[in-house]
Amino acid sequence: MTTEAVPSGIPVPHSNDVESEENDIREHLMHDPRPRAELNRMVMESMQVTPKSFWVIVGILALLVAVCLFGAWLYMIMKGMGVAGIRRPTFWAMLIANFVFWIGISHAGTFVSAILRVFKAEFRRPITRAAELMTAFGLAAGAMYPLIHLGRVWVGYWIIPYPNQRWLWPNFRSPLVWDLLAITTYLLGSIMYIYLPLIPDLAMARDHSTGWRYQFYRILSFGFTGAEGEWQRIRTAITIFAFAIIPVMFSVHTIVSWDFAMTKTPGWHSTIFGPFFIAGAIFSGVSAVAMILFIVRASMKNMDYFIRKEHFDAFGKLILVFSFVWAYFYFNEFLLAWYAGDASDQFVWNAITQGPNAWLWYLMLVLNIGIPWLTLWNKKVRRTPWMLFVIGFLINIGMYIERYIIVPGMITVNRFPFQWGEYGPRIELVISVGSLSLFLLLYALASRLIPLIPVWEVVEGQHATQLRRIGKAKVPTVTNLE
Amino acid sequence: MPEGTTHLAIFNEVDPVAEAIHELRELGIPDNQMNIISGLPYSAEMLGREKSWSMIPKFSIIGFVLGFVLSIVLNWGSVLQYPLIVGNLPLFAIPTTIIVTFELSMLGLLLFTFLGVVWENAWPSWGKKVYRKDVSDGKIAIEFICPPEIHTRVHEMLGALGAEWVHRTEATEI
Repeated sequence: MTTEAVPSGIPVPHSNDVESEENDIREHLMHDPRPRAELNRMVMESMQVTPKSFWVIVGILALLVAVCLFGAWLYMIMKGMGVAGIRRPTFWAMLIANFVFWIGISHAGTFVSAILRVFKAEFRRPITRAAELMTAFGLAAGAMYPLIHLGRVWVGYWIIPYPNQRWLWPNFRSPLVWDLLAITTYLLGSIMYIYLPLIPDLAMARDHSTGWRYQFYRILSFGFTGAEGEWQRIRTAITIFAFAIIPVMFSVHTIVSWDFAMTKTPGWHSTIFGPFFIAGAIFSGVSAVAMILFIVRASMKNMDYFIRKEHFDAFGKLILVFSFVWAYFYFNEFLLAWYAGDASDQFVWNAITQGPNAWLWYLMLVLNIGIPWLTLWNKKVRRTPWMLFVIGFLINIGMYIERYIIVPGMITVNRFPFQWGEYGPRIELVISVGSLSLFLLLYALASRLIPLIPVWEVVEGQHATQLRRIGKAKVPTVTNLE
Repeated sequence: MPEGTTHLAIFNEVDPVAEAIHELRELGIPDNQMNIISGLPYSAEMLGREKSWSMIPKFSIIGFVLGFVLSIVLNWGSVLQYPLIVGNLPLFAIPTTIIVTFELSMLGLLLFTFLGVVWENAWPSWGKKVYRKDVSDGKIAIEFICPPEIHTRVHEMLGALGAEWVHRTEATEI
């Protein structure tokens, strides 16, 4: 920026600079308002205008879900767990790694929506729902894995608290029951938290649609009209939810980590597993949101107005911060085991870092630390959507490897040489493809049925944001409307 | 049922709506016979209305307490009912029950908060309502019950304040 000094010593920008500064500000969605009716039309179009290729992809995903998820699971139920690669001593393996991965992914929705809402981060407004949906569908994909892993899924109801045939109740002091309760609470809470702010948008969709869509939105919007009492109650409830769902989110992945940490298994028995898992969950989840935003922006009409470079920039910064946090916890975890010199711990870590699968460990470090640290400091990279997509994809591979190392990696080669084993996933690979397809399928269908952009929140943000002149500059200011 | 007919006035901006509410009050239409319908949440202070208190926080607390009680029943009651004696392990363990208590209490809180919204709004209500679809396009509507003797004065006043449309109206299917 060229400036000229005035006698007082205060630099005054040229008029061209003022214009370019204003253009920079206009790049932000909150400073680029459009009439409400136009925003409604854009969001409705994004749902209704669907190319044929979309339905081809949906068909392929549905087929993959039917064959790879339900077909393979049914095959495993009929043939027994032998068709999986699970062998002594690796009884927890890829299915559990997938479970941890998907539950982790689901954390980003709440993080983006609730935490940023509580802290009134304005940039969150157009992207909250896209992230929240990821929570719901990530949980749906993840919650299937304990059932798949059960093997004898037909006795799964034993975990429900009622006296079963053996007159035994579930042991509520078991981490596995904590897991069930935490995931149930989080899943139900997340669905309600998605639904409450969605109701006004469903009513908007009702007012702008006909035929089956009208009936669909009419039923789901519960008869919402926008009366002041309705708004007040929704707003009160959203505030309560935003505060209450945050500790639930933290509890879920902490409890998932306790599935491992509560055992005396070397590598698992760690006091920092809870926060370490949470950091990893948010790290992979935020990376996944960046990927989803790229896909939504590229594949849905009008989304480039709502999802902008500023959002990718913000996600790039979040990913970088959580990469630091994750590295900090991982280093803690590693250093203490290495420095303490406990033979059994050291044995496991040596096997991971120097054994035949050590390349996985190094690849994980490159993907989770090397890639984000080398790229995301650069503003240009952060503001390039496809680059964020690639980085997010690589980080999620890295985070998957992390879970793979933790679950089968730390129990396959252990401190008892007579109990070493080998693990190679078999039908688990097919099921993994199926669950990924399920997540994508649910998201694709939801993107055509549910307004992905919370229009009323965007409009409210645009009302609250304005440019204020301070001296020679126009500065963005936000009014607290809540 | 108060005497009078239901009217609807449509505005483009919130400032004249706040002014209109004040004027309607001056003309003798009480607050409880007015309702503001909008596509955005405007606070009672913005509209110059009395703040009404919501029962939703109470619902949340009730849900939390019920979840807490349920967790106590499951944690302690089930152990008493079906004791599983394991050597060197206590029958009642407080640290581990905290987790179940936390999860069920939070589940109760979240569930009852949601149910509170549904209950207070009397949802679902798919029946007839006084409504205009352009509210979701940014218009703001004042629904009010107007005694026949001040119809004309009210309509003139609302028109002067910039109301785009003022008319007697009836509930319709939405």
